[in-house]
Amino acid sequence: MGASLVDERLVTEIGAVQIFRGGTGDPVVYLHSAMGEGAGTLFLEDLAEERAVVAPVFPGFGASEGIESIEDMEDAVFHLLDVFDRLGLSSPAVVGLSLGGWMAAELAVRYPDRVGRLVLVNPAGLYLPGAEIKELFGRPLRELAQDMFADQSHPMAQMMSQLDIMAASEVEIPFEVLRPLLQSMAATAKLAWDPYLHDPKLARRLHRVSSPTLIVRGAQDTLVPRAHAEAYASGISRARLVEVDDAAHLLPLEKPDELVGLLRAHLAA
Amino acid sequence: MSEGVREMRFFSFHLMPYPGLPDDYDGPAWVTCPNSLFDPGVGTQIYNRYLDELILAEELGFDGVCVNEHHQNAYGLMPSPNLMASILARQTSRVRIAVVGNALPLYDPPTRVAEEFAMIDCISGGRLIAGMVVGGGPEYYSSSINPAHARERFQEAHDIIKRAWTEPGPFEFIGKHYKLRYVNSWPRPVQQPHPEIWVPGVGSLETIEFVARNRYAYMGIPYFHIDVFERMFKMMREACQREGYEVDPLQLGWLVPIFVAETDAEARRQYEEHFWYFVRRLLPGINISPPGYTSIRSYENILKGAKTFALNLKTWDEVQAGQYAIVGSPDTVTERLTENLRRLGPGNLLGLFQLGTLPADATRRSLELFGTEVMPKLRATFPAGQPVLGAPAAVA
Repeated sequence: MGASLVDERLVTEIGAVQIFRGGTGDPVVYLHSAMGEGAGTLFLEDLAEERAVVAPVFPGFGASEGIESIEDMEDAVFHLLDVFDRLGLSSPAVVGLSLGGWMAAELAVRYPDRVGRLVLVNPAGLYLPGAEIKELFGRPLRELAQDMFADQSHPMAQMMSQLDIMAASEVEIPFEVLRPLLQSMAATAKLAWDPYLHDPKLARRLHRVSSPTLIVRGAQDTLVPRAHAEAYASGISRARLVEVDDAAHLLPLEKPDELVGLLRAHLAA
Repeated sequence: MSEGVREMRFFSFHLMPYPGLPDDYDGPAWVTCPNSLFDPGVGTQIYNRYLDELILAEELGFDGVCVNEHHQNAYGLMPSPNLMASILARQTSRVRIAVVGNALPLYDPPTRVAEEFAMIDCISGGRLIAGMVVGGGPEYYSSSINPAHARERFQEAHDIIKRAWTEPGPFEFIGKHYKLRYVNSWPRPVQQPHPEIWVPGVGSLETIEFVARNRYAYMGIPYFHIDVFERMFKMMREACQREGYEVDPLQLGWLVPIFVAETDAEARRQYEEHFWYFVRRLLPGINISPPGYTSIRSYENILKGAKTFALNLKTWDEVQAGQYAIVGSPDTVTERLTENLRRLGPGNLLGLFQLGTLPADATRRSLELFGTEVMPKLRATFPAGQPVLGAPAAVA
């Protein structure tokens, strides 16, 4: 059970963006990963039962415009500020997954007073020699699914493997199936190709984060090594690290109930 | 024969492939192919041999030779085609030297391309054809240049190079990706206003529109079914029409593997295994398309041809039916080239004569047979290129 989210448009400085909203109460902003998850995400619907969930779709993903105006994380942060201002969000709780977690951290180091409680789920954004983030770009989807899901029977993991099998066969994959994937990856590349999924300056700025912060890590995440969650937890003064078992990189899709439980506790604390 | 239509030109194209990948290596030939597999002794031997094969093309009466740029792979060992072109500039005296091309977005500052091309043009006495290319997908992995910036960087680099050749320096260029306070290229090219410019491509609409707008020449990259070339050239014709002119055949080039032996049976016997080494060992990995490298509308178009990419070939019959390689006796090769040239209408035929592990003696013999028995007949059949009506474009 959950409150379904409404698909809205918000005009911003760089174009109209798509926003999924639902529920009432204290606001929680959700920043999605490179997969562009939003509508139909169970854990957001569950969260919307007790909070006002705001899930902006980043430019270049879904129906959101404006990716031409985004070159790097700096631009991403200013875009988020614009979205916050237009929605009247003064210091909402911010939850981000992977790429979205990195974005949330970049926002929090620059504008700590615009972020209430912070939750980073398998965040990217740091470079740790010897514990590099695995390649995201150009890998076969069935291989990527191994890093994304602890349980390969998850419907999305199954779909990723199937697409791969189809691509290698004579079957024509309808372009409408590929389009969102291509768009998401292209938008991600703009932010994360070089330097690869990190900002060299982020680590030494983490001390600026003032929010009570929860770092959530999927114990089976093989894309982002555990050392990254630990580095965030030690770099942010009020941070706590929690590991969720039987979950990999896309933890919110795989363990929605556990994540909602953790969020409930952290946001209420 | 309409006025201004020029004769068909014949080029010998070389990829300079690595022939010695071990049998037990089944990974990609690109980006992550371990360079411990490269034997520098083999390198010494093949670089010199491959240069000899290009020089032979001049002796056999070809109009030009082609080299190109690829990085960190076993498919083509020319990270700097300009080095090869500069050697050829000294060792040949007549042929056009086509560098097809320099991958502009990989150069920073791109004035380097303006300078090196001008050097080659000076050394060769004005024989350079300046190719400019966005670069293959794998190059963006090998260089870490952001593929989402590929098109913008290409456009800016192109503008810098062309202005460096045609405008008095110094001038300032402040773009989004390149910010150069002093552009003042020494040397300048011999050919004025600048060398002929070629752009190779695989059917991206942006590239074709760019070529048509600038009245450059578009080189169709091989290893696709002949239908894909037909579609690309049609796109180019239509793009030129939208720019208000009819394409000149010299604005179209068809790159195709060619092998000639005494008989059809002998040709296949000598060639087939080397062709499969090329397809199965050197192509894997070339087709990687980094995110943002191509616009969504172009990607959709490229995808239409993707299933016909040579990497998916299984049988020799498919190779023949799709015209992936023109292989046979001089008569057969002449006949099949005539038929396909009529169908496609390019004014430049770019033959890939060495391919995969094809050995030196077979390559030489094939080039000789082509030069003495095929090329003269094709020159007679296409005395003035394809009968394209309308005013010819000024191929710059």
